[in-house]
Amino acid sequence: MTAESGDIAVRLDSITKRFGSVVALDQMSFEVQRGRLFVVFGPSSVGKTTTLRTIAGLERPQEGKLEINGRDFTQAPIAGRNVSMVFQSFALYPHLTVRENFAYPLKEAGTSAADIAKRIDEIAQILSLGHRLDNKPETLSGGEQQRVALGRSLIRRPDILLLDEPLTNLDAKLRDDMRTEIKRLHRQFGITIVYATPDELEALSMGEEIAVMREGHVVQTGTPDELYLTPKDLYVAQKIGSPTMNVIGARAGSDGVSINAPFGNFPLSGVALPSGTDELKIGIRPADIRINSAQQEGIAGRVRLLEPLGDITIVDVDAADQRLKIVVREAEALSLQPGSELSFAFDPARLHVFDAESGLHMT
Amino acid sequence: MMKVWVVYPLRVAFASVPAALIVSALAITFLPPSVSFWVSGAVSAFSAFLFVAYAWGRHAGGLLVAPAIALLFCMNIFPLLWSFGLSFFHYRANRLAPPRFAGLHYYEKVLSDPVVWDRLQVTAKMVVLTVSLQMVIGFLLAMLFAKQFPLRRVLLILVLTPMMLSFVAVGAFFRYYYEPTFGLVSQAVRVFTGEPYVLLQSAAGATAGIVFADAWMWSPFVMLLVLAGLVSVPKYLYEAASIDRISHWRRFWSITFPYVRSLLMLALLFRTIEAFKLFDVVFLLTEGGPGTSTETIAVYVYRVSFQYFKTSESAALAYILLFTVIVLTNLYLYFANKRNRT
Repeated sequence: MTAESGDIAVRLDSITKRFGSVVALDQMSFEVQRGRLFVVFGPSSVGKTTTLRTIAGLERPQEGKLEINGRDFTQAPIAGRNVSMVFQSFALYPHLTVRENFAYPLKEAGTSAADIAKRIDEIAQILSLGHRLDNKPETLSGGEQQRVALGRSLIRRPDILLLDEPLTNLDAKLRDDMRTEIKRLHRQFGITIVYATPDELEALSMGEEIAVMREGHVVQTGTPDELYLTPKDLYVAQKIGSPTMNVIGARAGSDGVSINAPFGNFPLSGVALPSGTDELKIGIRPADIRINSAQQEGIAGRVRLLEPLGDITIVDVDAADQRLKIVVREAEALSLQPGSELSFAFDPARLHVFDAESGLHMT
Repeated sequence: MMKVWVVYPLRVAFASVPAALIVSALAITFLPPSVSFWVSGAVSAFSAFLFVAYAWGRHAGGLLVAPAIALLFCMNIFPLLWSFGLSFFHYRANRLAPPRFAGLHYYEKVLSDPVVWDRLQVTAKMVVLTVSLQMVIGFLLAMLFAKQFPLRRVLLILVLTPMMLSFVAVGAFFRYYYEPTFGLVSQAVRVFTGEPYVLLQSAAGATAGIVFADAWMWSPFVMLLVLAGLVSVPKYLYEAASIDRISHWRRFWSITFPYVRSLLMLALLFRTIEAFKLFDVVFLLTEGGPGTSTETIAVYVYRVSFQYFKTSESAALAYILLFTVIVLTNLYLYFANKRNRT
């Protein structure tokens, strides 16, 4: 084992998993550094849960290789992997109290009673569940059940913690709290976490590294900033960032260094279009567009809708038969109303250019 | 509730009765019988339909269940009360003499009768044996059928069949099964001993034969209940347990069993009550013999009431048994609930 591979907690190498004729994972590959909070992100039924279940050992892939801490575990039984998992449904043992739920994974490992009690106290204190230890799970609130599920996974100090959409069943306010909570636990325990979520906000706010999934494979892996600033293709560009990136059909200019978009020509900066490229898609983030004051020149548009969100307002604009979204600060939006004319502009350097056919980012 | 039913008042329904009569009369007078039969049938059905539809629209559910209640009263409730009354009178169903008041005489007689206590002991023995056998076999069958394997559905249907057979069929089947000259049991034993084997001639053999037949018939019932519990365990609990590296034994006791426990208690209750009334199989197989060694209390009640025609005494005995079962059931439920709460 080389020093470098020792830092990789989980490695999936071209994992393929089929259920009958359905391909759940198609050449799935990624690496998770030890101690990372790694997010597997993608819409529902894209294979996130199957990925986690494969790492846990609940599913055996047909092809590919799974390594945990540098050892091949592709077809190994569950027992040998020091992996624990929090299910979307929490999967608390309904007939056991919170204390017994915590103790359950420890009893089997032959931990002494005194040690078990100590660890339960410790985990209950960390998760502030001390007053709930003797209750049955069904009497707990959703957030408490979630914390019990986390505690039960953490109590036997696994190498890797798998979290399968752990916040999906919680309400919005609790989700915010639990996001912070999980990040705190991650720092405190320093364990590797693989976290599956369909929620972009969760992915960006929690992930130190994010794998964006599409149809059973990883499209791009990177830090939140990398994914936001340099998406590999149109799919990632539209999945990351809220509101969604504006995407407009365009054509390559005849000089090869400019683009003809419906509302004007823009110079290409730092992009060399390969010859023969004609159909393009250009993307511009709603936050990268600014609304001009009346005397400045810009692209003319008409306001369709306003979505005030408190601090910011999303302005839905019609310009040259295209629909665009623009994010402005709330103060700037005060003068706007549906139907009013405006002019806007953006820095051409912030344009993302994609090949219309393959969707790949052209940089 | 569909509003269409309330659009007409009740008098429409009432008016339809003379209308139906007139139409029927006319039809019978002027049409050939084969046609008028159907015409009058149709108009009376329509008239009846108007009443039912009206009652339905007015949420008059009581009217709709009235025929069922009336039947239940005639066939069930009234005879029950009547026989309860008879247990306080001197009365024999095969004599014409009117009932004479007897007070608690028959209750006293039954409770101090050593024969009754003997029959109760026989019954208790049967109940314990057959119910425990049913519970064990039913539980094991359920564990088997909770898994997926080829031909599972077909086998499940086969295993459930005994429960759906009539008692008489089961009784006749086991009579042949235990039959000394050509019965399967006797022939199997003959292979080893060279002699025909009469299972039902000894007290222990007869008891075993009855217990086996009853358990054969009712183990599937226990299996059904337990199976319902087993399949209701969410799969993710087993997955969580396997990730938590829990042994199969502990998994069974702390995850599976709690889902089955209440159903198991229910099965125990149902089967105990039923076994307490064990009659059909005993009567068909041994008629209580040899001697009275397999005569359960239910068979004894039958004898007292329909062979000795001591109607009052049998009524008193039957009510004592009913009372016992109700008290025991309630005690059982009380303790079961108390246990579940804690």
